[in-house]
Amino acid sequence: MDKITCPEVRKRTKIVISVLVILFMVLVARLYQIQIINGEQYQKDALSSQMTSAMISAERGNIYDRNMNTLAQSEQVYDICISPMEIKNENINELTDIFSKMLDVEPERIKKACENKKSQYFVVKYKVPKLKAEEVLNYSREKKIKGVFLQENTRRFYPYGSLASTVLGFTNSENDGAYGLEAYYNKTLRGKKGRIITATNAAGTYMPYNYKQIYEAEEGNSLVLTIDESIQHFAEKHLEEAVKEYDVRNRASCIVMDVKTGEILAMANKPDFDPNEPYEIGDSRIKAELEELKGKDEELYNEKKKEAWYAQWRNKAVSDPYEPGSVFKTITAAAALDLHIVDPYSERFSCPGYYVVGNKRVGCWKTSGHGNITFSQAIKYSCNPVFMQMGQRLGGENFYNYFEAFGLTKPTGIDMPGEADNAGLVHYKKALSVDGSVELPISAFGQTFKITPIQLATAISAVVNGGYLMEPHIVKQEIDIHGNVVSTTEPKVKRQVISEETSKLMRELLEGVVSDQVGGSGRSVYMPGYRIGGKTGTSEKTDKRIDGKVAYWVSSFMGFAPVDDPQIMVLVLLDEPANGNVFGSVVASPVVGGILADTLPYLGIQPNYTEEEMQTMDISVPYVTGRTVLEAENKLNREGLKHKVIGKGKTVVKQVPSSGQPIPRNGEVILYTTENEDVSTTVIPNIIGYSGQQANKTLINQGLNVRFTGVSINAPGCVVAKIDPPPGTEVERGSVVTLEFTDRDLAG
Amino acid sequence: MAEKKKIKKIKNKPRYHIFSKGGSVDGTFLFLLLAILGIGLLMLFSASYANAYYYHKNSFHYILRQSIFAVGGIIAMFMVSKFDYRVLKNFSKIIVIISIVLLIFVFTQKELNNARRWIFVKIAGEDLLTFQPSEIAKLAVAIYFAKYMTDNEDKMGDFKKGVFPLLVLTGVYSILLILEPHLSATIIVICIAGIMMFIGGTKVSHLFMLGGSLAFGFPLAVFALGKWDRLMTRVNYWLNPFSAAKDEGYQVIQSLYAIGSGGLMGVGIGDSKQKYLYLPEPQNDFIFSIICEEIGFVGATLLLALFVIFVWRGFSIGLKCKDRFGSLLCIGIISQVGIQVIFNVAVVTNTIPNTGISLPFFSYGGTSLMMLLAQMGIILSISRENNIEDKEE
Repeated sequence: MDKITCPEVRKRTKIVISVLVILFMVLVARLYQIQIINGEQYQKDALSSQMTSAMISAERGNIYDRNMNTLAQSEQVYDICISPMEIKNENINELTDIFSKMLDVEPERIKKACENKKSQYFVVKYKVPKLKAEEVLNYSREKKIKGVFLQENTRRFYPYGSLASTVLGFTNSENDGAYGLEAYYNKTLRGKKGRIITATNAAGTYMPYNYKQIYEAEEGNSLVLTIDESIQHFAEKHLEEAVKEYDVRNRASCIVMDVKTGEILAMANKPDFDPNEPYEIGDSRIKAELEELKGKDEELYNEKKKEAWYAQWRNKAVSDPYEPGSVFKTITAAAALDLHIVDPYSERFSCPGYYVVGNKRVGCWKTSGHGNITFSQAIKYSCNPVFMQMGQRLGGENFYNYFEAFGLTKPTGIDMPGEADNAGLVHYKKALSVDGSVELPISAFGQTFKITPIQLATAISAVVNGGYLMEPHIVKQEIDIHGNVVSTTEPKVKRQVISEETSKLMRELLEGVVSDQVGGSGRSVYMPGYRIGGKTGTSEKTDKRIDGKVAYWVSSFMGFAPVDDPQIMVLVLLDEPANGNVFGSVVASPVVGGILADTLPYLGIQPNYTEEEMQTMDISVPYVTGRTVLEAENKLNREGLKHKVIGKGKTVVKQVPSSGQPIPRNGEVILYTTENEDVSTTVIPNIIGYSGQQANKTLINQGLNVRFTGVSINAPGCVVAKIDPPPGTEVERGSVVTLEFTDRDLAG
Repeated sequence: MAEKKKIKKIKNKPRYHIFSKGGSVDGTFLFLLLAILGIGLLMLFSASYANAYYYHKNSFHYILRQSIFAVGGIIAMFMVSKFDYRVLKNFSKIIVIISIVLLIFVFTQKELNNARRWIFVKIAGEDLLTFQPSEIAKLAVAIYFAKYMTDNEDKMGDFKKGVFPLLVLTGVYSILLILEPHLSATIIVICIAGIMMFIGGTKVSHLFMLGGSLAFGFPLAVFALGKWDRLMTRVNYWLNPFSAAKDEGYQVIQSLYAIGSGGLMGVGIGDSKQKYLYLPEPQNDFIFSIICEEIGFVGATLLLALFVIFVWRGFSIGLKCKDRFGSLLCIGIISQVGIQVIFNVAVVTNTIPNTGISLPFFSYGGTSLMMLLAQMGIILSISRENNIEDKEE
């Protein structure tokens, strides 16, 4: 060893070694940073890239009505999938064939998918019913074609079709709520999806070791609604009829509310849709219009289609504000009476047929005027000039305070999506409070501002239920999959707006609207045995004029019963009836009348007839066939029915009308006593437009029994509107003919 | 000085023979070497079997080949250790020429991954053997530098005679390697040259000057060659690998995932998940990531410690060597191992930009492993010489 260079080499080597060791230590520090400090994060990120997770779908909860009828449920279906990697080339054609025939899918799409040999997963068709799916699978197995498999999925099914569709909404292809309660309560209904996590390599195939972790799914909870399927059905039936009859163009909404709890018993809207096929246009007229556009103007077609979708999906009763018109007089009257600024029975107001506000002459619907009337009569007749005076008497501040107190400036807070927020009404206060305000008197009869049907329904419930403004709700209970109650919605009183006394007085006054058979604007709703109150409304759509003139109306009616202890309130509005009369009393009140007539007995509210009512009531024909003529005669006499015997036999072989049919007291039953006796028939004459007396006479002369529904025939201006069976039908003598009347003079 | 050199030459002449006079090899060094090689083979098997299975349908594809070369390499190593390393003195120039010829010849070879780094040796029409002439270049630098610095020991302080010739050789290698392109080999060659010159006695001022001009020259050269943008994007991928998680950053990210997943104690040997096609070519440059994943921070640190001890032992064999040529040659060879380990680990931990440096004794590559083991044979040969003289003392 060179003695001179040796120490230098040694020294420098040590320096090099030191540098290398330091570098190694730097690397160890770096490893410490990656593995210990940031290790967990890297591990997590690595895991998420290494794992493929398969979802375990959680069963979506059902939606029930208040009596546990299923309104929406999930049913098991299957997605048909293929693994192109496993499919042999010689099978592709056959497979494409099977799929296109059995599942109606495009063959080109399948072929293309099959050719992608790297893929292991391709969905041929989503949500195929179980039977069909199994059929496809078995078929492919028979043919020994590999690579076809099924994947569980669920489909939302609505057993009642379009019933309450705008309330329920619908789900999208991922089984998430897209609209309505399905969307609003999506989290509750959906539950929590589970996951199966399996390790895979970067190519997506499974690793040769077992790593599997299962996170169980949490099933969704179910909703029990306050909706009653039967009442909902009544509401939709009558609403649908009215929409057809009066050719309602824009929308029709109906709310049936339990006035004491704020529960929604029914909520119906037209146009609506079938949630099983939400993208089908439900309204046949709109559908036809769309069909015409199709192919001609794609852009316009798509735009119109979208418009039609939203129109049918939207819950118009909650989302679309409107000018309430005269129904709102209920609120104005309640405010005036609560402040004791008017005696409804003694003080007289004059209605010359108009009222001058500022320099504007605002007309009453009855252009000839109501003359000198009390406030009570003003409510019955729905007199605008009197209410304008009342608005001015209240003053802007009082008016607005009650307006606010009845909850009309804020959303009601109902547990439904898309409630319109008319917060803009806050600014309205100013306009009302100006001296000589034009808005104030007009607002007093429900024009110049817009509120939603649900707001009005809630406010009216408060007027009649003793003064308590409730928070309306539609979900009664949330229950888990085992039926245990998770939560219950308790009725929530927001505040008392008017006193119990005012409320009682209001009920009486509103009863007059229906019970006054001569001038009551709501008299067509009258039903013997029940005390019903109500208020009509015909509002001008002031923001939708043609050439500056009002061209569209909203006809509405609210009714409640029983007056002495209100249970339910029904609000119906028909937006833009195009056919004939637009008056709420003509168009909307029969809907409410029909709903009440069906609903009150259904709710077990017993009719309580007055003596007078008993006289005009129908009875049902007793069963006398097979009895001797004598026996039959006795029985009919006891019921107060007349009879006519045809033939010379000893026993009754046939009776017209048959047993159980309603027939007016003093009606006549024809008794046939010989077999094969020629049945005496007659043709129903066309008596539409006849007065009650005329019609009755004509039919009785033909040996028919006559029954009346709707307005009492005693009211002046009442004419036959509908005959059942229709004119021209040949019927047996003795048959019951039902006449429905309308009141030509009805309005307001 | 000239006389002294002559005397030394004469003195030296009878002192070496073709075969080593047969002292025993350094046991500690051999033990460490075999330990590292053993662990290397084990980890290679673990890291490679998923790739081997998916791409070659045989889990043993890589480990089998590597093992054969390892056995061949060990035999070669012992054979080399039996030779007297001083024989290499006579071949230093030839080795340099051969390496340069091969580095030029490599340009006739086909491209692989956009570079011509490999010479393919056809056996029966198939590319059975591949090797990188850069491996020979590294050895050539060590041998030639050791020889030159021994012959010109007294001129080490003279820039013209003691520095410039070495600089020229380094420059030639660097240019040839850059043209392949093979940046990592260039860096290693420069590092080996630098370390050997430093230990061999080159003035520190000269080294600083060289280092300084390199620091300036490199960016200038890159700029002049119009590759500045490419350099910057590479630096960018280094600093923000997640900005290109799907392309250029992918390998580094997967490497970090693997290392990070190891945590303190690792997931266990054989249980890496990142090797399942996530980390590309886990048997090559990025084998250390899989090691970190499987044996954790503790294991990886122990492995690095083993390398440190191994390199240290290599250096001390060099220092023990009483002959300057052997001393410098030993240091040149062992520093190559140290440098490669440092660079490799720095790359897989994304401490420096990804340049593609293999991990000695671990990364897959048969001829490379054989070359490496043969070079270890040279160190063993040097250690034999040390041991003889120890006995004599």
